[in-house]
Amino acid sequence: MSTLGDDGLPLPETDPDSEGVPVGEMRFGDHLALAFGGDEERYAVLAAYVRDGLRRDHKIIYLADQEDADAVLDRLAAAPAFTGLGLDVHAAAADGSLAARPVIEAFMASGRFDPDATVDLLGAEIELALVQGFRGVRITGETSFSLRGWPGTERFREFEHKCRGAFRAPGSRAMAICQYDRRWFGDEQLRQLLACHDGLVRVDDLHDDGVLRVTPTFTPPGLALTGAVDASTLPALREALAVAARRDGHLCLDLSGLAFCDTEGLRAILETRSSGGGLDRQVVLRSVPPYLALMLRIAGWDRLPGVFVEEAPA
Amino acid sequence: MTGGPRRPVPAPHDAPASHDAAAPYDAAAPHAAPGPRPVPFPDDRHRRPSRDRLRHRALFYATDAEFRDAATAYLAEGAAAGDVLVVILPEPRRRLLVAALLASAARSASGAAPAPDPASGRPGGVPDIEFLDAADWYGGPTKALASFHERGRTDWWRRGRLRVLAEPPWDCRSPLELVEWQRHEALLNVVFDATSTILTCAYDIRVVPGEVLADAARTHPVFADAEGEWRNPSYADPAAFYAECNRSPLAPPPPSAAHRRFTTGQLPDVRDFLSGQAERLGLPHDRRLPFLLAANEVATAVVRHGGGSGDLWVWATADELVCELADPAARVEDRFLGHIPPRLDRPAEAAMWAVRCLCHIVEIRSDARSGTRVRLHTRLEEPPAGPPADPPSGLPTAPPPVPQGRR
Repeated sequence: MSTLGDDGLPLPETDPDSEGVPVGEMRFGDHLALAFGGDEERYAVLAAYVRDGLRRDHKIIYLADQEDADAVLDRLAAAPAFTGLGLDVHAAAADGSLAARPVIEAFMASGRFDPDATVDLLGAEIELALVQGFRGVRITGETSFSLRGWPGTERFREFEHKCRGAFRAPGSRAMAICQYDRRWFGDEQLRQLLACHDGLVRVDDLHDDGVLRVTPTFTPPGLALTGAVDASTLPALREALAVAARRDGHLCLDLSGLAFCDTEGLRAILETRSSGGGLDRQVVLRSVPPYLALMLRIAGWDRLPGVFVEEAPA
Repeated sequence: MTGGPRRPVPAPHDAPASHDAAAPYDAAAPHAAPGPRPVPFPDDRHRRPSRDRLRHRALFYATDAEFRDAATAYLAEGAAAGDVLVVILPEPRRRLLVAALLASAARSASGAAPAPDPASGRPGGVPDIEFLDAADWYGGPTKALASFHERGRTDWWRRGRLRVLAEPPWDCRSPLELVEWQRHEALLNVVFDATSTILTCAYDIRVVPGEVLADAARTHPVFADAEGEWRNPSYADPAAFYAECNRSPLAPPPPSAAHRRFTTGQLPDVRDFLSGQAERLGLPHDRRLPFLLAANEVATAVVRHGGGSGDLWVWATADELVCELADPAARVEDRFLGHIPPRLDRPAEAAMWAVRCLCHIVEIRSDARSGTRVRLHTRLEEPPAGPPADPPSGLPTAPPPVPQGRR
C-alpha cells in the first residue's frame, strides 16, 4: 500500500526509472505514464498504442497540447510503427475511430480545470464509444497544459489520482497513457505525478523469445540487449540491428544485460558500423560485461575504427 | 617423458624447407647439423636480408659462458643497430645475463665506474632492455603467441626492428604440452613471418631433452652462436611440421566422462549442462565463463557450419578440465586453424582464435572418415606464478624490468 503525502494523495511507490510495461502488453484498466525524453521515443510508444487500438477496433482519443491535431496525426503516420502496415491514420481520423483534439478544448470547456468534472467527462466519452460499438477505448493525453497556469490546474495531481481509480473500475474497457515530457517537469514534481499511475509504459521490445530480448533505446539512440546471443538468437539480433540501423547517425548498444554472446553475435553487432548509407557510423558499446570486453580484446576488435567500448565496472 | 621419439628426426640431407620464411637464407651456407659451424652466415651489414622478415634463430649452448658470450654479443649488436631489445628468460638465466652486461659495461669503461643513464637510472654502458619473466610469458602456447602479437603490434614494432632473446622452459611440461610448445616454435615462423623481428631461442643442451632439441632443429630456420649465424638445413616446412603435430590420434574420452548429444537450438541447454559439469568437476567460478564461451564457439561451429549435430564429453584429469566436442559428419581443414590473429573479415578464424585464447590447449583432429574432434583443455588451478623477480644479489644496480605499459 502506498503512503499518503501532505495533500492526502499517495507518495511515489514505483521507481520512475524502472523500465515499465511494453505498450503492446497494455490491458483494459491500465492507467500508465509515458515519461519521455524526446519525440522519437514518444511517438514510438504512441504510434504502437494507436496502431494496436485500430487493429482491435478500439476508439482512440488523443488529447493534444503542444501541437495541433493535424500535426499529431502526421507524426503518428510517419512513425516506424505504421510503415508498411496499410493502416491509415488520417482515414481513421475521418471515420471517427481516432479522435485527436486539443486538450484545452476538452478539459477546460468551462474555463476552469475541474478534476471531478473532467473524470466524469472521460467516463461519458468512454461510454459513448462503447455504445457506438467500439470494442474498447484508448485514451492518451499530453499533460504539459497543466504547467501553463490555467485556473484549476493546481489540482492536476488530484485528477491523475482519480483517473487511476476510474480506469481500474471492474469491467473497465478503457486504458490510458498520460504523456509526461521529462524536460518540462521538475524531478520531484514528476516523481509525485508518476506515482498516481499504475506504472510506466515503454516502447515494445523489438524481439523477446525468452533467451534474448532486444529493446530500443532513445537517449542515446540504439538498442539494449538482454539475455544471450548464440546461434539460436543470432537471426533475431541481426533483424533488430537492421531495424536500428535504418536511422542515420551513431548507435549506442547497451550490453549490460547481455549474459552471453558468441563471436558471431559480436561480429554482427560490430558490423552495424558499416550498415549506414555512405559514411560509417560510430558504434558505442555501453556497459560491456568483463567477459565480452575480454572477447573483444582477444579478437582485436576493441580497436576497430568507429567502435567505442565502455566497460561495465567489474 | 614416456615412449620413443614421436617423430623421426630428419637426416641432414633432407630437402631444405620450401616455406618462404627460409627464403632470405637460401644463398647461404652448405648443409650442416647444429654443432661445429661451417661457413658463417654473412654479416648483417654486408648482406642485408629484408628487415621486414622474421629471423628465427636457435642458440644451442652447453656452458654458461657460451650463453653469456652469445647473448651479450647479440644484444650489443642490437643496441648498436638501434633495435628494440626484449629478453624473456627464467630468473636464474636473467641474473647471469645482467651480471655479464654489467661486467661488460665496466670493462668497456676501462675499469672506471660508468655513469648511470640520467633518464632511466640504468647503469652506464648497459643497453636499454625490456626484461620479461619466462615463467609468466610461457604460461601457455596460445597465450604466448597472443602476447607476442599484442605487444609487437601495439609497442615493439612501432619503435623499430625487434630483437628478442628468449629461453622457453622445457621442464615440467606434460607430453601434450611438449608437442604444443614445439608446434608453437613452428608457428612463430608463420605468424610473425612478415614482421621486422630477430628472435633467438636459447636451448641449454645440458638439460633440454634430446627430442626437444631435435624438434628445435626443425622449427628454427637459422642457427646462431656468439660468432654469427648460419642456415639450418634441417629446417622443416612449418605446415608439414604442424601436420605432424596432429598425427598422433586422440585417446577416446574416459568411460567416466559426462556425455550429451546436441543439435540446432540446444546451445542454451548445452551451456547449462557444461556449467553444471564445470562446477561438479571443480573449475573455479571465475574460469567457467571463458570455458563456456570456448565450448559454445565450437558447438556453434558444429551446428551452423558442420554436420548440424554432435556429441560432447566432459571430464577432469588431475589438473585439467577437458571437454571434447565431436562432429561426426564434417571435416575441417586445420592448417594453422585459430593460430593466426584474426581480422574482422575472417569470422571463422576469429572464432577458433578466441577458442584457443580462452583455453590452455586446444587439440583438433579431423578426417573424412570419422569427422572432427575438438578437445579443449582448461587448467583447474592457475599454475603458480614464477618466483618473484627480486633484485639479483650483489647487483644493486641491475636494470629494472621495464613495466609493460611502456609507450
